[in-house]
Amino acid sequence: MQRESHMQQTQSTKWMTHGEAGLMLFFAMAAFVCAFAAAKALDAPFAFHASLAAVASGVASFAIMNRYLDRPASLPPEEISGKPNYNLGPIKFASFMAMFWGIAGFAVGLLIASQLAWPLLNLDLPWTSFGRLRPLHTSAVIFAFGGNVLIATSFYVVQRTCRTRLVGDLAPWFVVLGYNFFIVIAGTGYLLGVTQSKEYAEPEWYADLWLTIVWVVYLVVFVMTLVKRKEPHIFVANWFYLAFIVTIAVLHLGNNLALPVSLLGSKSYIAWAGVQDAMFQWWYGHNAVGFFLTAGFLAIMYYFIPKRAERPVYSYRLSIIHFWSLIFLYIWAGPHHLHYTALPDWTQTLGMTFSVMLWMPSWGGMINGLMTLSGAWDKLRTDPVLRMLVVSVAFYGMSTFEGPLMSIKVVNSLSHYTDWTIGHVHSGALGWVGFVSFGALYCLVPWLWGRKELYSLKLVNWHFWISTIGIVLYISAMWVSGILQGLMWRAYTSLGFLEYSFIETVEAMHPFYVIRAAGGALFLIGALIMAYNLWMTVRASEADVGTELALQAAE
Amino acid sequence: MKAILIVHNIASDLVTSVWTPIFVGLFIAIVIYALWPRNQAVFDQASRMPLRED
Repeated sequence: MQRESHMQQTQSTKWMTHGEAGLMLFFAMAAFVCAFAAAKALDAPFAFHASLAAVASGVASFAIMNRYLDRPASLPPEEISGKPNYNLGPIKFASFMAMFWGIAGFAVGLLIASQLAWPLLNLDLPWTSFGRLRPLHTSAVIFAFGGNVLIATSFYVVQRTCRTRLVGDLAPWFVVLGYNFFIVIAGTGYLLGVTQSKEYAEPEWYADLWLTIVWVVYLVVFVMTLVKRKEPHIFVANWFYLAFIVTIAVLHLGNNLALPVSLLGSKSYIAWAGVQDAMFQWWYGHNAVGFFLTAGFLAIMYYFIPKRAERPVYSYRLSIIHFWSLIFLYIWAGPHHLHYTALPDWTQTLGMTFSVMLWMPSWGGMINGLMTLSGAWDKLRTDPVLRMLVVSVAFYGMSTFEGPLMSIKVVNSLSHYTDWTIGHVHSGALGWVGFVSFGALYCLVPWLWGRKELYSLKLVNWHFWISTIGIVLYISAMWVSGILQGLMWRAYTSLGFLEYSFIETVEAMHPFYVIRAAGGALFLIGALIMAYNLWMTVRASEADVGTELALQAAE
Repeated sequence: MKAILIVHNIASDLVTSVWTPIFVGLFIAIVIYALWPRNQAVFDQASRMPLRED
């Protein structure tokens, strides 16, 4: 009895954790350093970013102090009455940001699609020109929307399948907030003309350094949660997430080894030159597709489809072979982006060969995802969320068939530099990554906020059909436009002259660009319906609130 | 200098040629592990992991 009261007493003495004190100090110092850098900056965008960082660091420092003052003496317990006390706050934030960035990214996509159809929309301003908005679109949809979906779902799945609370008190918040701050720096940088001109790796050195810190913390949180798991087996989805986190770290470091011109300016030069730089870039670029847009979202497939369909994974053996063959093969496929360039011929052939081989694990994974529905196919009629998840896997199968096809040199000689590539990317991005993310968010939001169901399944159905029609319009327009473009470029007259001037091929694209923009508009409308549906789900009346929320109130 | 280059070349040749059998061997080992009949029970349980509620 006495010991117990003694224990209670020591618990009620409130102390800052090392993490809280350390991070508070770190951010306070960072605020000063950044303010100094802003004052001494060599260029305006760097001054702007340093000011942003100074403000954000100051806010972070205060927020940590406030949080400490508000919280009870002891940190949230690992378990509440024998059940794991899952940490859902950072996941809720990342889910919200995913939806926010998704709509922003789709909207910018629609704008630049319209700029291609009607160049007047460039507005003759540097900040709104296609060249600056295009990386804003790609980064917003891939890294901001996709990245937040991956962080949210990975934090959710790793806790659930390990039956343990996420490691760290501030660390998960540092990951989600730090990552979104990186997005803000990257995005505003593009608009101000800050870029290192590497596709999908445009952010300059200081943004890259910040992302490295955030990413290492992400890795540590994820791995340490795996280490303290209560389940002996590590579920396959966690393997995919881990491969995604580790490989992105390696790719990010390899492709961004740059030397800044000055520590007070935004410009830097990359360590590699010429064809080595090109190879590094596409080793990075294609594995961003392979490990960010594929491995990460396959993890979503392996958790959310069984969960939603209430069926076990079709073949767990296949999932293991799927995982390892994908990992072993993907890393070599990059050179297919550099066919008929200065890259050595054997390297191009190697890239092509591995890309063709990749077809097998890709379809193995697709079969595993689709067949998980065996015995539950009827649910496709009644559950539009499951339908979205399953159609995403079908799109995955389609684009992973098209990819190997396009990597074959002869096909690539027609398809490369044409809109066919854009069509291919979007059947993967809108159909696979987009739909699997939508499906996951439709599942996740009711679970996180303790709601029994979504606000409206009818609206999900509307979202599904509007977006599907949008995707079909988009990709079929790009197929026709791309092949037309490729054929016009290689057409010769009987005298051996090129039959079409370049501007004639541009003119021929116009109707397809209009159709593509219409497809993009439909996709955006679908996402807006989704945002409304999720918002209403979170705002649902108290009567619908399930047990999960009660558990949360206890923490 | 020349000696260093020769040693470097031999070492890099060795490393490059050794990777292929190591990776192939590793992959075959993983496939055997995945298909090993004794592991079936563990995998059956694992395939139901998302369905378990707490």
